[in-house]
Amino acid sequence: MSAVVDSHGHGHEHHHDHHGGYGGIMRWITTTNHKDIGTLYLWFSFIMFMTGGAMAMVIRLELFSPGLQWVNPEFFNQMTTMHGLIMVFGAIMPAFVGFANWLIPMQIGAPDMAFARMNNWSFWILPFAASLLVISFFMPGGAPGVGWTMYAPLTVQMGIGMDLTIFAVHLLGMSSIMGSINIITTILNLRAPGMTLMRMPLFCWTWLITAYLLVAAMPVLAGAVTMTLTDRHFGTTFFNAAGGGDPVLYQHIFWFFGHPEVYIIALPAFGVISQVIPAFSRKPLFGYASMVYATSAIAILSFIVWAHHMYTVGMPVTGQLFFMYATTLIAVPTGVKVFNWVATMWKGALSFETPMLFAIGFLFLFTLGGFTGLVLSLAAVDIQLHDTYYVVAHFHYVMAIGAVFAGFAGIYFWLPKWTGKMYDEKLGKLHFWLSTIFINITFFVQHFSGLAGMPRRVPDYPLMFETWNKISSIGAFGFGLSQLLFLYIVLKAIRHGEKAKDKQWEGADSLEWTHLPTPVPYHSFETQPVLK
Amino acid sequence: MSRNLKTALALLLISLVSFIGTIVKIWMMRGG
Repeated sequence: MSAVVDSHGHGHEHHHDHHGGYGGIMRWITTTNHKDIGTLYLWFSFIMFMTGGAMAMVIRLELFSPGLQWVNPEFFNQMTTMHGLIMVFGAIMPAFVGFANWLIPMQIGAPDMAFARMNNWSFWILPFAASLLVISFFMPGGAPGVGWTMYAPLTVQMGIGMDLTIFAVHLLGMSSIMGSINIITTILNLRAPGMTLMRMPLFCWTWLITAYLLVAAMPVLAGAVTMTLTDRHFGTTFFNAAGGGDPVLYQHIFWFFGHPEVYIIALPAFGVISQVIPAFSRKPLFGYASMVYATSAIAILSFIVWAHHMYTVGMPVTGQLFFMYATTLIAVPTGVKVFNWVATMWKGALSFETPMLFAIGFLFLFTLGGFTGLVLSLAAVDIQLHDTYYVVAHFHYVMAIGAVFAGFAGIYFWLPKWTGKMYDEKLGKLHFWLSTIFINITFFVQHFSGLAGMPRRVPDYPLMFETWNKISSIGAFGFGLSQLLFLYIVLKAIRHGEKAKDKQWEGADSLEWTHLPTPVPYHSFETQPVLK
Repeated sequence: MSRNLKTALALLLISLVSFIGTIVKIWMMRGG
């Protein structure tokens, strides 16, 4: 957007820097301001990140040595289940919705989201859903220990904690769908004059496509858990073979949601990276249009690859072949994206501030996770590796490194714009290096234990896996502690940070950097900017 | 009806079709 000219000024000369009719806690409960709600989403996701992280610490503590040391197997299963659910639905997804709330209106020149009150509702559903998940630990039988995939028929045998989890998933789904409707409507209807779709920052594009994925995929999960609920309590037999149902059907519908879900998490991360890399390369994004088409291609393909998660259920070879070829095909648009990011950096005036470090870390490590994904897409190989730690390593490279590193890149990139304060660059770089080293210690070795046959979701293991597990646990503890440094960096920036410039990063070219002061006023673009 | 409301209702319709369609599809696939 470097070529655009704002003929209306910033629209902030007459801004009213008030926070609605309330102060204190009521400001946050009643707010309809997209920036407040973005902040709420981001803090909520950080709390969930630490909660899910604490569960990961319990898992790694138990796996530090063979045999049962700290927790019983039932509780271990509850930990793996809740770690997965909380990280996916409570930490990563809300983090990117937080980015969307903060950035989309500013990047398209809109005053706020299209449905400001619904935006408030979308957020405030989340704490209740998270409470349901946590309360399930205190129910008779504890939290469900079924895995985050909630496969039938195990879900039918669980205690009342399972029902709380089902309702939590319903609430999380409602929140996501409302958020998505808001995002799509905002992007389609509230763009400033001159902000055509193909001039939007790529972050907006990735979120537009992600929101469509959410609207189509989340109700499928809601349907799956609703049928689980009626199977548990109302005498239906959707997933019970004794009554004419089929437990494998559950897996089909779960993964029909579950694979798009992978891209619901990954695409906004791609969007963040597509803003950060050009800014620190001081070049426009290479192949903008191809990025948009690649993102759309990934979204469409994500709906026809679901059964690669279930090669071992006994599907026909033709089925395996179809899902194998379709899955392999996703490497093409993903490769286009990785190529474009690298080409953006090519011959750029690169500098390596913390956001760029996290973006490059993402590029290397997400691609590594992508490659192991390609390995797992091959049905013959996957049958060997199914449910081993190789799979755990693969999806943590994509999620715990890919999505989380993109999240960190985005936080460091936009924190100066949001708060008006700069973070401590030295500490930021330290956070990057500690995170990168420890997360690789955690997950790289899991490829080896997985290849050697160590199964996932089991609290005990043979002696032969001990060394890899010890290394992995030490890495996990280090990564966990490093995130306390991140909290310190953010708090220090907010309280004592140096004043940030209006355009803190000279290569940043989207509207929030070029058209708005730092920190951004509470109400921005009350007068629409006209872009030429 | 405003353009925003029309967009939202269309998207809500997609999600409802997705939700009900999932349950109806699984219902139809039950064995005897």
